[in-house]
Amino acid sequence: MAGRRILVALVVAAVGVAFADSSIVVLALPELYTRFDTTIERVSWVVTAYNAAVAGAALVLIAVVHRVSAKTVFVAGLLVFTAASIACAAAGSLWFLVGARAVQGVGAALLLAGSLPLIVSLTGSALRGATVWTLAGTLAAALGPALGGVVTQALGWRAIFVVQAPLALCGLLAAVGVHTAPLLEEGWSRSASRRLPANACLALLFGALVGVLFLSVLLVITVWGYSPIAGAAIVSVLPAATVAARPLERRLPRLAAICGGAALLTTGLLGLALLPFASVGFCAAALVFCGLGLGLAVPVLSNAALELGPGLSRSGTLTIGIRHLGLVLAIACIAPLLASDLEPAGHRAELRATAVLLDAPVGLGSKIPVALDARSEFARAQAGEIPDLSRPFDAHGAAHDPALAAARDRLVGTIEDTITRAFRPSFVLSASFALAALVLAFVFRRRLAT
Amino acid sequence: MSRAFLVLVVLVAFSVTLLAAELATSAARADVEIANPCRTRAAFPGHGLDAVAQRIVLDGLDGAACRLHTSREELVLSLGNGERRWDEHTIETALRAGLLRAVDASEQRGDLPSFLAPLVRGVVERAPLRQLVEGGLTLRDLLG
Repeated sequence: MAGRRILVALVVAAVGVAFADSSIVVLALPELYTRFDTTIERVSWVVTAYNAAVAGAALVLIAVVHRVSAKTVFVAGLLVFTAASIACAAAGSLWFLVGARAVQGVGAALLLAGSLPLIVSLTGSALRGATVWTLAGTLAAALGPALGGVVTQALGWRAIFVVQAPLALCGLLAAVGVHTAPLLEEGWSRSASRRLPANACLALLFGALVGVLFLSVLLVITVWGYSPIAGAAIVSVLPAATVAARPLERRLPRLAAICGGAALLTTGLLGLALLPFASVGFCAAALVFCGLGLGLAVPVLSNAALELGPGLSRSGTLTIGIRHLGLVLAIACIAPLLASDLEPAGHRAELRATAVLLDAPVGLGSKIPVALDARSEFARAQAGEIPDLSRPFDAHGAAHDPALAAARDRLVGTIEDTITRAFRPSFVLSASFALAALVLAFVFRRRLAT
Repeated sequence: MSRAFLVLVVLVAFSVTLLAAELATSAARADVEIANPCRTRAAFPGHGLDAVAQRIVLDGLDGAACRLHTSREELVLSLGNGERRWDEHTIETALRAGLLRAVDASEQRGDLPSFLAPLVRGVVERAPLRQLVEGGLTLRDLLG
C-alpha cells in the first residue's frame, strides 16, 4: 500500500510539473528579456508557446489516446518533456527557447493524457484517481509563479528547466511499476457531449487565470520592483488559499462550489483591477479570494469534465486541451490590451513624475541634478529597460535630506500608481472571463449539479 | 442553509467588502494632477534666493505653457527632445515671454527687490534659451 502511494506521488510530481509549467517562467520573464535583449511581445512567447502546444497536442491526441496504452503515452510524454526541458535550459537564443518550450508542451500534453489512467490504476478507484489528478493540477497551476520566482532568484532562469527534468523523470519509476490496458473504443458518447459545459467553464476560468497568474506577477515584480523571491512570497497566498478552500469545497453542493468559486474569482480579479495604489495588502487580499475561487470551482469542474468510466483517457485529454486553449485565447486577448494601455500610461506617469519634481520643496542644487538623472532613467524605460527612479535621489543625498526622500517616495509612488492603474482594463477583462464562467454554470446548472 | 453554504456567502460578502474598501481608499487619495497652467496655483513655498528663483522659473514655465496651450510638464519634457510639437522659435518666444511676466509678478509680490528686477530681466532676454530648447545646452550648463 505504501509502495503504491509512493508511485502515485511520483506520477503526481510529474503531473504537477507539467501543469505548473504553464506559469512557472512568468517570474523569469524580466531576466529572459534582459538575457536575450528582446521585446516584451517576443519574450511572452516563452509562455504562450508552451500553453498553445499543450492545447494543440491534447486536442489532436483525443483521436488516438484511447487506442494506445496509457503507460506508453505517459512514458513518451515524460521522455519528450524531459529532453525539451534540458534543451530549454541550454537555450542560447530566444527562438530556440520558444521552440524547445513548444516541444515541452507537446511532451506535457502526452504526459498529462497518460497520467490520468495511470493514477486511476494506481489508486484502484476512478473517483479517487481523478480527484488526485485534479487537485495536483489545480495546486500546481497556482504554485507555478511562486516556485519559478524562488528558483529564478536563487539559481537563475535556466535552473527552472534543470529542476524539472529529474522531477518529471520520477514518473518513469512509477510507470515501470504499473500496468494499464488500452481503453479501446471509448467512442464519442452522449455523456462526452454532456461534459462540454464543464469544459467550457474550465476554459473560461483558465482564461481568467491569466489575470491571476501572469498580470499580478508582472505587476508585483516589474512595476512595484519586488525581487522574484519577494514576489513569490506575495503570490504564494494564491496556492495557500487554493489548499485552504479544499474542506469547504468538499462540503458544498457541486453547483454552489462552482458558482461560488467563479464569483470569488471574479471579485478577486476586480479587487486586483481596483487596486487604489501599489499596495501589497490589497493585492494579497485579492489574490486570496482568487485562490479560494480557484480551489472551489476548478476541482469540481474538473471532476464534472471527466468520464470516470471507459471514456476516462479521452475526457481527460479533452479537458487538458480545453483549459489550455482557454489560457492561450485569453493571453491573445489580454496581452494586446495591456500593451495598448501601458504606452499612454507611461506618458502619464512621466508627466506626473515631472510635476512631482517641479513642485518638490527642495533646493535647486538638488532638484536640477536629480531631474537630469531621472530623465536618463526615463530614457532607459523608453529603450525597454526597467528604470530605477530612486537611484537619482539616493545618489544626491536622499538618505540625509528628508525633503528629497519625501520627493523620491512621492515620485516613485506616483509612477507605480499610474502604471498599476494601466493594468485595470486587463484585470477587468480577466474578471469578465470568470463572470462568463459563472453565467455559463448557472445556465447549465442542471447538468453541472448532477 | 447549511454551514458550508453560509461560509461561502460570508466569503463572497468579504470579497465585495474588499472592493468597497478599495474604492473608498481610491476616493480618499489625492493623486498628482497635471494643473492648468493658465490658472493661478499656490506659489512655490520657501524663502531666500533659491525659492525666489524657483518661483520665477515655475511661473515662467506656466506662462509659456499657457501660451502654447499645453501643460508645464509637457513643455519641460519637450525641451531638448526632437519629437516636440512646436518649432524652436515658438518655444523660445513663449519661454522668454513667460519668464519676463514671472519676473514682473515676482517684483510686484515683493519677492524680487526692485533694484535686481532689471538685471534679472536682462538675463532672461539674453539667455541662450534656443540652445536649451534644441538640446544643445542642458540646464546644468545654463546654471553652471
